Amino acid sequence: MAWNFELVAGPFKGRTGGLAWDGKGMLFSAVAEERVLRFDPATGKADNFRRWTGRVNGIAIAKDGSVFGAQEGGRRVVQFMTDGSTAPTEEMIEGAHHNQPVDVILDKKGRVFFADAYNSQAPYGPPAYPFLPHASVLRLDNWGPRYWSLSRVTHDTVGPRAILLSADEKTLYVADGDSERGDVCQLHAYPLNEHGSVGHRKMLLNFAFPERGIEGMCLDSEGNIIACMGWTKGGSPPAVVVISPGGTIVETHPAPADSPMRVAFGDADLGSLYLTAGDGGLYRAKGIGRRGLKR
Amino acid sequence: MHGSLETINIEVDMCAPGWERIIDPSPPVEVIARDIIFGEGPTWDARNKQLFFTDIIGGTIWKWKPGVGLEIVLSPSVKANGTCLDLENRLVVAGWGGRTVFRMEKDGSWKTLSDNWQGKKLNSPNDILVKSDGSIWFTDPPGGMMNVGMVGPDLQRYLETQPVFRIAPDGKMSVVTEDFVYPNGLCFSPDEKILYVNCSRERVIRAYDVKPDGSVGKARVFHQYTGPERGVPDGMKCDVEGNVWCTAPGGIWVHDPSGKPIVRIKTEGHHPTNIAFGGDDWKWLFITNVGSVVRTRIKIAGVPSR
Repeated sequence: MAWNFELVAGPFKGRTGGLAWDGKGMLFSAVAEERVLRFDPATGKADNFRRWTGRVNGIAIAKDGSVFGAQEGGRRVVQFMTDGSTAPTEEMIEGAHHNQPVDVILDKKGRVFFADAYNSQAPYGPPAYPFLPHASVLRLDNWGPRYWSLSRVTHDTVGPRAILLSADEKTLYVADGDSERGDVCQLHAYPLNEHGSVGHRKMLLNFAFPERGIEGMCLDSEGNIIACMGWTKGGSPPAVVVISPGGTIVETHPAPADSPMRVAFGDADLGSLYLTAGDGGLYRAKGIGRRGLKR
Repeated sequence: MHGSLETINIEVDMCAPGWERIIDPSPPVEVIARDIIFGEGPTWDARNKQLFFTDIIGGTIWKWKPGVGLEIVLSPSVKANGTCLDLENRLVVAGWGGRTVFRMEKDGSWKTLSDNWQGKKLNSPNDILVKSDGSIWFTDPPGGMMNVGMVGPDLQRYLETQPVFRIAPDGKMSVVTEDFVYPNGLCFSPDEKILYVNCSRERVIRAYDVKPDGSVGKARVFHQYTGPERGVPDGMKCDVEGNVWCTAPGGIWVHDPSGKPIVRIKTEGHHPTNIAFGGDDWKWLFITNVGSVVRTRIKIAGVPSR
């Protein structure tokens, strides 16, 4: 079955990034415009959700309606509160400042996992803190209002770009490697325990340089990973792929634009697939024969 | 990210005629504070013969007294930045990450002077000064809502512009100018008839004629920084002859009243953020850096900070 993506918003300046379905609309990041917007499928219009986001990329909606954002420009995970303010989270780990978060997800317990990558674009402000010698998945645990602790989850990644939890939250998928920095890109599955720590990983996919690897992922109702990968610079072309839980690519669909960034299901019964891309567009494919996982 | 204090040297370059009256070619350097993360906000308190400065990222307002040493004035400071003294010699602070302007009262308590403009929270007050009529002038760029290690409890921006604000002696606040995309340092000419404001994004210093009612005339470009060197215009002060001293690309630039550079004071390997004149003769130049505060001797007196 062909997936027909149509442009529903944009294109915006630079790339579009993170996606999060709020039940009735799709939040998405216009990273370089420093905005998070909300696309309303009922009206077909996209309006500002937040301005001046500090280059927030990945986003995730919490139970209380607040939205966590991976702020590449400010080297932090922020929380867009329901009263319109924006709160910081913990930025220091073992006395050092973490890198530039690119993706963020929440588990059922409200713990915040984020991909703490390096970034080709410098962060805001004078360089007072060096970058960490590692780029890892990190975890924020909340201990009360404005009280977070930060822990390291992965110890073997080089530059995580996208993270995803399995339906039972016992597996953490990590798309590792930043092809723009010359990394080899891989997709790994880590067993995740109740404490939020991981065991030994299993490699699901290995991309040969200069393959772009995976940038954004979501889960369908059957537990398959829907992933954005590829670019026109080399290796496999821009595509959206369906990956079985065991790591086999079972479907490949051409992406509507170069460097597809992220995917997420939305609309009624999570029956449409939304996609952001390097061209700054927000795309949607209806009736693809798959639905999103209801968490 | 900053150089070793064991090897700190100050030298000069870009020397134009008359530079010898400003500074010696290799003046002595004395380290006042180390083990601070991001020095800023230096102000000499002549009445008590002491220097106030801030460590933005370290979240502390400090004071240093010759022969005595360092003492904490306020911690946590919620990432406070620029400081100055008002007519009653009270410390007035640009709150930056805390997004307020506040003042230390005689009893040691702290009073908020401003936290909003027309009901919307300020951006992040960066640098500040008090005119001889008691009015308070400050720049309000957004860095204290974004910069790594410099933010407070709310990172959301609400104001459309990045104004320079004035708080009149009666407390009434007004916008001085909205010409800037990142207003940073500001100072008056010795007669207070010219207001200088620099922009860290456009790397420019603008000059404004100050009107008696506290408003200003149209902007004129005082100096445009060009070239590949790292750094942006930041802290800025005037000496008694009207020369404008500005921490800028490659070091501290001294411009004559027409804007022309007279000399540049280089601090190789160190990143100066702001300056203050001080000492009994106002010929000590205090320099806050990323990582330290130092002082050196100069040959021309600064405009007294009160």
